[in-house]
Amino acid sequence: MKRRHLEVGRYHGLGTWTVLCFAFLYLPIGILIIYSFNASSLAMTWTGFSLDWYAKVLRNDSIQFAAVNSLVIATITTLFATAIATAAALALVRGGRFTGHTASLGLVTLPLVVPEIVTAVAVLIFFANLNLNLGIGNVIIAHTTFCIPFAFMPIRARLVGMDTSLEQAARDLYSSEWQTFRHITAPLLMPGILSGAMLSFVISLDDFIITLMVAPAGATTLPVYIYSMIRQGITPEVNAISSVFFAASVLLVSIYWLLSRRVMSVPKGTGTSNASGGSRT
Amino acid sequence: MADGVEAREIVKTFGVGTEHEVTALNNVSLTIRSNEFFTLLGPSGCGKTTMLRLIAGFEMPTRGDILLFGEHMEDLPPNQRAVNTVFQHYALFPHMSVAENVAFGLRRLRKPKDETDRTVGHMLELVKLGDLAHRRPAQLSGGQQQRVALARALAPGPKVLLLDEPLSALDLKLRQAMRLELKQIQRETGITFIFVTHDQEEALSMSDRIAVMSNGEVQQVGTPHDIYEYPVNRFVAEFIGDANFIPATVAGFETDMLVCSTVAGRTLRVRGSGDHNTGDLVTLFLRPEKVLLHRQGETSSGRLAGEVVDVVYYGSETSYRIRLDDGTVILAEDRNMLDGSRRFAGGEQLFVEIGAETLRVLGQ
Ligand SMILES: Nc1ncnc2c1ncn2[C@@H]1O[C@H](COP(=O)(O)OP(=O)(O)O)[C@@H](O)[C@H]1O
Ligand SMILES: [Mg+2]
Repeated sequence: MKRRHLEVGRYHGLGTWTVLCFAFLYLPIGILIIYSFNASSLAMTWTGFSLDWYAKVLRNDSIQFAAVNSLVIATITTLFATAIATAAALALVRGGRFTGHTASLGLVTLPLVVPEIVTAVAVLIFFANLNLNLGIGNVIIAHTTFCIPFAFMPIRARLVGMDTSLEQAARDLYSSEWQTFRHITAPLLMPGILSGAMLSFVISLDDFIITLMVAPAGATTLPVYIYSMIRQGITPEVNAISSVFFAASVLLVSIYWLLSRRVMSVPKGTGTSNASGGSRT
Repeated sequence: MADGVEAREIVKTFGVGTEHEVTALNNVSLTIRSNEFFTLLGPSGCGKTTMLRLIAGFEMPTRGDILLFGEHMEDLPPNQRAVNTVFQHYALFPHMSVAENVAFGLRRLRKPKDETDRTVGHMLELVKLGDLAHRRPAQLSGGQQQRVALARALAPGPKVLLLDEPLSALDLKLRQAMRLELKQIQRETGITFIFVTHDQEEALSMSDRIAVMSNGEVQQVGTPHDIYEYPVNRFVAEFIGDANFIPATVAGFETDMLVCSTVAGRTLRVRGSGDHNTGDLVTLFLRPEKVLLHRQGETSSGRLAGEVVDVVYYGSETSYRIRLDDGTVILAEDRNMLDGSRRFAGGEQLFVEIGAETLRVLGQ
């Protein structure tokens, strides 16, 4: 790493610490990936390279079923959560002050601090009392509830930083409120919406506790399935499926990163930034 | 000619009923003629932007009425008013090209595509940006962004164009060039311009008429000449350039002249100034460039002896602070002539001539 003017780069031993931290974070994952290519059927004894376990994963219908469930749930959850979060952010940031403004803001973000197990039990009891059984739908509803705040935070942050004079300019140029949203607010909000969608997708995808509680038979997701496999002993097959899962996540984040760079590259450092200062001087 | 914009007894109070209640406009009435270059001039915070926002429809008046070409604007949202705004910080759409920015209003008005393209081309030519049509706003200089904002607001062909300190972010040279250009565009398009500024020079040089505002009230409306030469009160006189104020009492009358005696005991004659009675306390007002400076003179001819206290050289003119021999300090300004015959140095003795037609009696 090239050393810049940043003073912190001059501290002795900082490099070592950095390496140690990264090792702590990534070594287990690295080992898991390496052992997923192990020919041995014993999880921790290396006997040679093989792709057998990947082949086995591919042939395992239950894994595929769970993976498809996970993707479907994450996708639909993301759509719902992002739409609701966008609406909430618009109402809370652009809607002016209304009674219950602060309370609404608190309620939308509350799931962030409620312990997951509490949410899980509450949702479970709720479904049981309603006698609601929509299969995968139950999981989607549960996921949507706790994904909304994650989608909400980046969208709100983006909206707060957005100068209202752009929207006023659009109104001034004969846009109705809807056209203003479509042509100005939405495109400029897109990086926030993308971040929010990305967060809720990932969080839905790897949720375990709530899904475990709520998922009826036939709605098993990948994390829940992997957990059930581990209970029968850690096999290289678990390593393989986890590696695939990991690769998929990395891919997803990379796509998001590329996408957001394209979207963000547009409004950077324009008239909007200096406009925030004194629009009423 | 029809009135372009009429504001009738406008009151605008922000935060009614809260502890932050601010009355930004207090009973403002204005009549702005069609095709006029009208300027709202006043210090920061006097309510200029608020007035524009009321005309554009971003705010609703607390009381009073706004009429555009005789039509009541009550409750009409901004997109239904034939008024466009050049925002103080331009507010260009960062995700659109220059051409898309300019076309925005036309598209919302559902103009046919070929007409839109033609108008956009024409507008970009008008503001001399033809070759930058495909750039993004972020890739333009401040001056260019300013022109895009102007083209965008002119493109839909509004009846009234509102400009909120559009030149304040530009540097001096560019600002001066844009003054001429704006004025020319206004003349060519025949659109009513309502221009907001806190810069008196800008207001004087561009406007057909000026409304001087302070504290949410209109102090005076008039042509640049009226405002400069015949300010109605001390605020206007001071805001529109340098001024001398001389307290005096009315001592008597001569044919269309008021004879005043200053506090220092000097007699000054003022030509044709209103209703006054002997003994009234008045403030005499005098622009520094109206004070004539002489090397010679005798006090009997009406010249007053004095001494130069301070000299500030501005290139084209020089400004002097002069202490008259009765102790009064006045400000004088003189053009710098080629031969330097009329240049004075600090400490130099001179004579000052104050003509009866250059003095005015100010209202309070
Ligand atoms: N939206 C608002 N809410 C509260 N006060 C405002 C608002 N807009 C303007 N004001 C107040 O109204 C007064 C006039 O403001 P403004 O019209 O922006 O002045 P100017 O443009 O002449 O500098 C100021 O005291 C300002 O603080
Ligand atoms: Mg202002």
